[in-house]
Amino acid sequence: MDEQELIRQVQDGDEMAFAEIVRIYKNKIVNFLFQLTSDYQKAVELSQETFMRVYFKANKYKPVAPFSSWIYTIASNLAKTEMKKMRKSQAISLEEVQNTIPIEDTSNNPSDSGLVRNLREALSSLHPRYRIPVILKDVEGFSQEEIAEILNRPIGTVKARISRGRDYLKKELEKASCEMNQ
Amino acid sequence: MEELNLLKKLERVNAPSDFEQKVMAQLSLRKGKVQRVRYLRLSLAGAFSALIVFFIVLNFFILPSKSPEAFAEMERSAPATFRREMGREMDFRQRSVVRLIETVDYTGDIRTRTQEPPTVYLLEQVSDKTNRKIKY
Repeated sequence: MDEQELIRQVQDGDEMAFAEIVRIYKNKIVNFLFQLTSDYQKAVELSQETFMRVYFKANKYKPVAPFSSWIYTIASNLAKTEMKKMRKSQAISLEEVQNTIPIEDTSNNPSDSGLVRNLREALSSLHPRYRIPVILKDVEGFSQEEIAEILNRPIGTVKARISRGRDYLKKELEKASCEMNQ
Repeated sequence: MEELNLLKKLERVNAPSDFEQKVMAQLSLRKGKVQRVRYLRLSLAGAFSALIVFFIVLNFFILPSKSPEAFAEMERSAPATFRREMGREMDFRQRSVVRLIETVDYTGDIRTRTQEPPTVYLLEQVSDKTNRKIKY
């Protein structure tokens, strides 16, 4: 069934249509929020909240934009709020930081080389203003127009943020590789 | 642009297996909560509107504003049995209406500063020696 049709049914209070939307988007949204927060549990909680908002705010959805843009807008807004909270809480113990990284991410995955780990660290240190568009573009594969729609920003701003975010990541990776070589 | 390829290599995670069940369970919980909040809001709005209607009825129909004379007339015209019941056995014929609005004469308070009658002074040039104009 078409996504527009599904959301129209959700607007009428159809739980089956809502369950179908959850089934379609659960992995995408959890992954997107995990890339933003680097915390799997937090990503799952925020994803649940995203779907709750989809159900209860369904009437606010206007079919002028794709449904995927709308759901990613909700998810990114929730993530922004969460990241602000995380940045505010300065006193985080090392143990807590270690717990935020999933176990399979560090040990069981052969593709998780030192470079990828450095990239993840650089991504975590990148300001959410740049991190969100970079992830939407380079991880989720959205176009710049779609990102502009999701973030409700002019396309020029999005382009600039993606560019600055990439530059920052590049510099951080170069720095990390220099340190590794020494 | 090596970092872009690496970004694509970043490990993707999936939702936990019981994610859908949890979302649906949370949905039914939230629905109940939303319903309760809606009922509460409606009942509060209803109670508030009823209170407003009650005050309107009380002020415009039950307790309309009347002049002192009208109230006095009401008391005079009230049946004797009613007056007796109210414990106000009085001779209403002898009782006069006390007017709360009185005219106040302030003419005695506001006076001119002097008690002399008003005088008009006519100033004229009496000397021919000066060609300057008299300044008043």
